[in-house]
Amino acid sequence: MVDLRPVRPDAEPAAPPPDHRHAKRRSRLARLDMKLSPYLFISPFYVVFLIFGAFPLVFTLWVSLYNWGLASGTREFVGLENFRFLVSDADFWHSVVNTFGIFFLSTVPQLLIALLIANTLSRRMRAATMFRIGMVVPLVTSTAAVAIVFTQLFDRDFGMINWLLDLVGVNPIDWQVSRGWSWVALATMVNWRWTGYNALIYLAAMQAIPKDLYEAAAIDGASRIKQFWRITVPMLQPTIIFTVIISTIGGMQLFVEPVLFGTGTPNRMDGGAVHQFQTVTMYMFDNAFIHDRYGYGATIAWAVFVLIIIFSLLNFLAIRRAGGAK
Amino acid sequence: MTTISLPAWGRRNGKRPQYRLRGLWDASPLTYVTLIFALVLSIAPIYWMIVVATRTNEVVGDVPPPVTPGGNLGSNIGRLFDNPDAYFAKGLVNSAVVASSVTISTVFFASLAGFAFAKLRFRGKNALLLTIIATMMIPTQMGIIPLYMTMVKLGWQSHMQAVIVPFLVTGFGVFMMRQYAAQAVPDELIEAARVDGCSTFRIYWSVVLPALRPAAGVLGLFTFMQTWNDFMWPLAVLNPENPTVQLSINNLANAYFKDYTLMFAGTTVAVLPLLVVFIVFGRQIIGGIMEGALKA
Amino acid sequence: MRLTRRRGSLSAVAATLAGVLALATACGGNDDSKSGASGAPAPPEKVTLTVDTFGEFGYDQLYKQYMAAHPNVTVKQRKVSTLDDYRPRLQQWMATGSGAGDVVALEEGILPLYMQQASKFVNLFDYGARSLQSNFLPWKWQMGMTPNGQQLVGLGTDIGPLGLCYRTDLFKKAGLPTARDEVSKLWPTWDAFFTTGQKFMAKVPKTKWLDGPTAILRTTVLQNAGAGPGYSFFDKNNNLVFETNPTVKQAFDTTLKFEQAKMTSDMAIFTPPWQTALKRDTFATLPCPSWMLGGIEQFSGSFGKGKWDVAAVPGNSGYWGGSWLAVPKQSKHPKEAAELAKFLTSPQGQVGAFKDKNTFPSSPQAEQDPAVSGAKSAYFNDAPTGQIFGTMAAQVKPVYLGPKHEDVRAAAENVLIAVGQGKVKPNEAWSKAVEAVKKAAR
Repeated sequence: MVDLRPVRPDAEPAAPPPDHRHAKRRSRLARLDMKLSPYLFISPFYVVFLIFGAFPLVFTLWVSLYNWGLASGTREFVGLENFRFLVSDADFWHSVVNTFGIFFLSTVPQLLIALLIANTLSRRMRAATMFRIGMVVPLVTSTAAVAIVFTQLFDRDFGMINWLLDLVGVNPIDWQVSRGWSWVALATMVNWRWTGYNALIYLAAMQAIPKDLYEAAAIDGASRIKQFWRITVPMLQPTIIFTVIISTIGGMQLFVEPVLFGTGTPNRMDGGAVHQFQTVTMYMFDNAFIHDRYGYGATIAWAVFVLIIIFSLLNFLAIRRAGGAK
Repeated sequence: MTTISLPAWGRRNGKRPQYRLRGLWDASPLTYVTLIFALVLSIAPIYWMIVVATRTNEVVGDVPPPVTPGGNLGSNIGRLFDNPDAYFAKGLVNSAVVASSVTISTVFFASLAGFAFAKLRFRGKNALLLTIIATMMIPTQMGIIPLYMTMVKLGWQSHMQAVIVPFLVTGFGVFMMRQYAAQAVPDELIEAARVDGCSTFRIYWSVVLPALRPAAGVLGLFTFMQTWNDFMWPLAVLNPENPTVQLSINNLANAYFKDYTLMFAGTTVAVLPLLVVFIVFGRQIIGGIMEGALKA
Repeated sequence: MRLTRRRGSLSAVAATLAGVLALATACGGNDDSKSGASGAPAPPEKVTLTVDTFGEFGYDQLYKQYMAAHPNVTVKQRKVSTLDDYRPRLQQWMATGSGAGDVVALEEGILPLYMQQASKFVNLFDYGARSLQSNFLPWKWQMGMTPNGQQLVGLGTDIGPLGLCYRTDLFKKAGLPTARDEVSKLWPTWDAFFTTGQKFMAKVPKTKWLDGPTAILRTTVLQNAGAGPGYSFFDKNNNLVFETNPTVKQAFDTTLKFEQAKMTSDMAIFTPPWQTALKRDTFATLPCPSWMLGGIEQFSGSFGKGKWDVAAVPGNSGYWGGSWLAVPKQSKHPKEAAELAKFLTSPQGQVGAFKDKNTFPSSPQAEQDPAVSGAKSAYFNDAPTGQIFGTMAAQVKPVYLGPKHEDVRAAAENVLIAVGQGKVKPNEAWSKAVEAVKKAAR
């Protein structure tokens, strides 16, 4: 929980000796130092944020009102035309559906498995640190590297995964062509990278749950599974909300994996020939940086921003309600 | 209750919980089986990457696939650095420069601001802190179009400052250092230093910063990692000829995708520095994640 | 500089000799008798010129010659493998006013876009290019100029007369003739090409007939447009006429027929899967403009050695591709860059490029050069490429392309690839394409 209460008041600085000029000037300086330093110390963040964070965001809105091309040099005010177009732009909504599809396939299993692993890790065991480190190794690999390695693993003809499937008698899957399977492949990349990290976060939260609760339940004869669902999960609710929101922000911006996954079309931002795995971020990037439609790209950016906020709120409410219904 | 819930630093420490019921908390064989399975899954792709990087292209499509490293790592890495399209050496140097500058700057400015928020009194503090928390929820990637236009105006596109300056300090860093400073730096120390006539910055430098070292280390590691791995913004603003290491990999993926040994040698070299850091500082990183350091 | 002045008389052999000669004297500083001709008494400052190209231009040897003859100039080549990678990059450089090379290649599909912003390029007329007109096919020269004729944006490099590349070993397996003259007779039309393909696939079912829809669509679109109205997706006023231009529909249907019959491997040219497929028996034929021979040789490599040959293209006409060299205003050395562009596009420059990578000259003098007209390609079973492509080049009719041509083309190709992947129903392909194309042309 964020503690926003003011910090305990400092002791008043020692009063300056009254009739010493030198000391007086020093004390004036000291007071100035006390007054100004805090602002000076926090200002770098605000300067950087205002120039490179807030300004672009507002400016995005401005750009979205224009038909704005950098290469062609066009810059023509079109009002809300871009937004009107967006609402009926089938490709945009297609990419929204893709993004959500991949998001569900990654977030839901990821968080469930993370919970499970955290529960396992919370046991007293040998080599606990080794297991924990092993779980988050994927985090240090770069997303680009992950995408490249997994794209090879999911190769239709020479990939390890189709080979393993073949061993158990499953026909090879064309991972890049099928919409559903491409989502699964991409979700796998995301899951592989983030599950261990979320498991550790859950583990930390689990360790803060008073042990007596479990012991009391155990004495009452509640099974471990029952303990998990009745004690662990409800107690973790704030943490779960937190991880869902973080996953939402990340999931809505999915970019690197699908870009590097699309080896079959000349334009990597296409996300497959029928855009079967084109995410909204790719669609934005494609419009702005590939097709020189910066105005429309900015419109997409705002739409995504709004989607993230709405979706985070819905998540938050849903999980609170689920938790509160208990 | 705020939506962001950070377990306070150090909550985990202190006395170990006392287990009254033996057996309730002990690992069963099933626990180990599950964990070993998970461990294998999380390491296998990295292992596969290294195996392919040490092989020749002929064996990559083999059935069954090769599972042990071969002897071609040196020649593959040689091909990697000789490759005219990847600019790999340049990418590595650029990434090192960018990630180091961003890391040093973030740690410095974040700890400075974190200290101010945690220990100094000034008007509007709470409101300002709230705005920082709010900025953490903004997906900054969504601002890349105007950010790009700004860089064009400044003439920074294709220069390294374009990927350094916008990330000199983050709201997340400030908030994290604030949380840590609030409980790790005793007020008495600060007061004592003030009585001695230290300026506020002097207090920060010689009293607060040393006390913040563990958190600063974790923040530094993660900032470095994030910057090293960043992809989308460099892709938008840099040139393929003057890339970061991730863009070097992308250059390879564009032109040589089916030359797997070359590609995987590239990803291995790009991942290696972080992997080493991770192995050395693994314990601290785990601690950082678990103590909420990473909860942005 | 001095090479270009003697352009008319120098054959490729002489150019090489001059290069070797200059190389030999380079260490001794400026050779007075030569630099005197260029009228520059002061030792020229050292400059590095960057040349941006995509695919294969065949310039490696020419750079060496040029540097040998101009000791103060270092030429640096930046090359990306495909036009699709090159296009956004160039767009970024031109939009932001920095990053572009001193000489950039403009392919026919992107030239119209930059014609609209001719002010971003130097006027090559200011660098003595006006006298070069006779070195180029009239239409190639014309297209490099702004419509009002005031500015010369680009000097023509190559044109892409069409052929059809095929695998002799696979043809043999299917019991088809393998000699190129007989093979050419198999397919006077695309329908005949289709039936031959059916015969082939009945015998060799594991190999597809064609690489994918992209090459054949581009080929047929340009072929039909050249034989018909002289424009394809956009009319000469830049109105999108994809839907209403019958020659486009016809080309689309031809391509669709192959997709529907599952006779292609559904690959887009120069993508990684396509590059790999050239090392296997994935497909037996692909339409190949002259410049593609270099790519096939590169990617098929030792695997395809002795297996490829070139026959006439069905329909027996048309061209695809070809570029111009331009000098962006952002270049710090526009004068030197213009000289280099003039050298690379000079008749002997074009001859040199052709000898290296089969990029067919847009210069009549170069086409008549025995090194071109009598050329044979060793990799392609000693095919007389000079003669095959020369015949085709003689009847080329230029096709007008709109500024958004490339965007439209990519959108239409995606639909056709999707048909092959079973993701778009063949009878819906046209309407899908029309829809996608309208968006792309926006």
